[in-house]
Amino acid sequence: MSQNGTRLLELGNVAKHFGGLYALSGLDLHVDEGEIVSVIGPNGAGKSTMFNVVTGLYPPDDGDVRFRGESIVGLAPNRITKLGLARTFQTVHLFPNMTVLENAMVGQHCRGRSGVFGSVIRLPSTRREEEQIRARAKTALEFFGKRLAGYRQDQPAFALSYANRRRLEMARALATDPVLIMLDEPTAGMNPRETLELRDHIVRMRDELGLTVLVIEHDMRVVKGVSDRVIALDYGRKIAEGTYDDVANDPQVIEAYLGTKAVG
Amino acid sequence: MGIARRSVMRGGAFGGIAAIYIALVGLYTEFAELELVGEQITLGRVMLVAPALVAAYAVTRPRVVAGERRPVGFGAGVAGGALTGLVTGGVFAAAVWFAEWFGVDRIREVFIQVSEPLIAFLTFDQGVPAGLPILIGISILGGAVGGLARTAPAVARAPLAVGTIAVIAMAMLQRIIPIVFVELGFKADWLYSPVTRGLTWLGAALIFAVAAAANVLWHRSGEQTRERVRSTVQEAPAAKLGLLVAILAILAIMPLLLGTVISEVLGQVMIYVLLGIGLNIVVGYAGLLDLGYVAFFAFGAYTLGLFTGAFLNTTAGAAEPALSADLNFYVAIWIVALLAAGLGLLIGAPVLRLRGDYLAIVTLGLGEIVSIITASKWAQPLIGGPQGMRGVTKAEFAGLNFQDNPQHFYYLVLAFVLLALFISWRLAGSRIGRAWNAMREDEQVAEAMGVSTIRFKLLAFAMGGAIGSLGGALFAVSLGSLTPTSFELVVSITALAVVILGGLGSLPGVVVGALVLIGLPGLLREFEAYRLLVYGGALVAIMILRPQGLIPNVRRSRELHEEEVEQDAWAAGTTGDREAVAAVLPGGGLGVGREDIE
Repeated sequence: MSQNGTRLLELGNVAKHFGGLYALSGLDLHVDEGEIVSVIGPNGAGKSTMFNVVTGLYPPDDGDVRFRGESIVGLAPNRITKLGLARTFQTVHLFPNMTVLENAMVGQHCRGRSGVFGSVIRLPSTRREEEQIRARAKTALEFFGKRLAGYRQDQPAFALSYANRRRLEMARALATDPVLIMLDEPTAGMNPRETLELRDHIVRMRDELGLTVLVIEHDMRVVKGVSDRVIALDYGRKIAEGTYDDVANDPQVIEAYLGTKAVG
Repeated sequence: MGIARRSVMRGGAFGGIAAIYIALVGLYTEFAELELVGEQITLGRVMLVAPALVAAYAVTRPRVVAGERRPVGFGAGVAGGALTGLVTGGVFAAAVWFAEWFGVDRIREVFIQVSEPLIAFLTFDQGVPAGLPILIGISILGGAVGGLARTAPAVARAPLAVGTIAVIAMAMLQRIIPIVFVELGFKADWLYSPVTRGLTWLGAALIFAVAAAANVLWHRSGEQTRERVRSTVQEAPAAKLGLLVAILAILAIMPLLLGTVISEVLGQVMIYVLLGIGLNIVVGYAGLLDLGYVAFFAFGAYTLGLFTGAFLNTTAGAAEPALSADLNFYVAIWIVALLAAGLGLLIGAPVLRLRGDYLAIVTLGLGEIVSIITASKWAQPLIGGPQGMRGVTKAEFAGLNFQDNPQHFYYLVLAFVLLALFISWRLAGSRIGRAWNAMREDEQVAEAMGVSTIRFKLLAFAMGGAIGSLGGALFAVSLGSLTPTSFELVVSITALAVVILGGLGSLPGVVVGALVLIGLPGLLREFEAYRLLVYGGALVAIMILRPQGLIPNVRRSRELHEEEVEQDAWAAGTTGDREAVAAVLPGGGLGVGREDIE
């Protein structure tokens, strides 16, 4: 199914429970370099928990998460981001009172290294780095064309429209210079036109920026349009995997969504 | 539009209760003799009118009815204000009458400030039945002025208000400005009376006229001129540089003009500016509420003492501390700052996982631990316990004595304040400041976006600790001797009050906050006993009226008004639309080009 071969992200037998609730149990999945993989599943299937475990916000109770062959279990989230794994959140989480540009510049933070001394003295290297951070953040914003360009970059993030907040969150993730970008329901709350636009953006992330994309998505048109591979989760387990058509016609998936045994 | 009777009654009653409170705590008697203008207008009498005035001003505010703002009309405002004043005066007069009937001496057993002179002051020396109508009349007048101040046409209101505020401000500065005049060789008897020390009537009239005329001219000059002046001052590099040079020049000559007494006050203000700058990094930038900041203040003071060869006070005389060195001040202070940064890490480490209230409580405890240690027998061999230490270095340098000469000390502390301001300002505008900002707004997301929150929290504690310890070290130099009573909870609270009053995250705010909270009580010695009352009152007022602080940081003020702005933008019909957002954002216009509006 995968074209380019090398394993980028690999989850082996990952389990996560909250009290008695098993959000994830024995989950195996992998993402190869250059793929766009969609994760689908009904509410509560464990999709976002899986994201949180991978990015280090929750430690897994069992199993291993490997990124480029190295285990990243136990690393602080900021370390994982620095390794090249960026994400967005299911509900928009910006820094609302920082400007649009500053939000994106925070994404570049982990690529900088200037410390207290350099910042106070404004060493040439610090100034260069700051310029670079700014330029890189602007490039990330420009990925969305005019949407986040011009005067908007100096507006506080809370002044953006809903769709633009979502775009800014993605731009901020892009600004971390990731290898793998994980999008948690990027089209939630967007209108059909914006959804179509975003579908193109996801494809462009791979084709133009050379990223690997792991996306949680409910909109089946988007899933169908972008995915090389689809993984369906239910009750914290993988219930199906394959092309969109395979998964969409899988009786277990239909049961998970519709709640009855599929006939025939 | 009239004013509801209920709100008049309620506002008036609040005014009356406030007046009774002011009388009970003794502020009237304290300030009865402080003349502001002539012999008639004393601060005590101004405070007598104030409750009615403030109550009336609040009662006549515009009401929002069904989403529509309805200002109170002029006539109704004055009448409503006068009625409010009547209620205030009535409540207050009733209380005075009750006190007289019940027996002043019996009340004094509980409220020690209630005395015959107080009653005499409140009744204008006319005795109880005869003086009460005057008291009520004055309240009615105050209420009418309060209503006037709210509802008079703007043309008249602004110059009158500015003139009045200028007169009161100049009158309150009666301990400073005459000194400056004398130092400069002017005779100022026509402005400040040598008898009362307050303004003369002529001086007050002149100040009022000048301030009001300036206000009128400013408003007549037209929007464009004003905008040009504003943008020149704020943006032109030459103007900025000129302003900076002017401020530095004023700072440099201030102690020479103001004499030793006021220089001493300024030195104390500067120490709190240092504390404020340090605490501002922790609370204002990084968003970590630290209620134990006194720990760094005490640490800086005592370690500087130990490093510069201070000795301990004992009943037998003096003793060597268990550990000490005899370094030059200019070497020792950097070691102190470095060690304090280490203490910051030490205090920061256990509280890394805590947020908000929990963090505040734990830091409060840690601060208390430090101040208890300074007073303990256990630490006596090192820092002298309750008796403390003396003989802290005078930091002599090029013939300047920084301990015994407050004017010299001012320059020493000014140098450190400028250094701390510079460091803090540069940090705020750097990658580090951005990381602190992100962390304050959303810690978890900042972490997920690659900001090491552990590292930047520790950095904030270390930087804040180092700067706070400088404040402590300079405090030790200024006094020469240290006792634990200087290192109690009130230091943490005062430093926090300075930061909050000025505006969290704002460096000019810290300076203004320290001037208001430390400088004013220092100048008007009568306020000394009411220092905490003033802090409390100032903080309550600022939280209600201006939660972003006196000189707010733009972003922090957005945080506090976020919902309003968002709602206004929404109400304007188009969230995200440029005009709508521009219309409600602080600062207004946001640049050009409308082709990219969807």
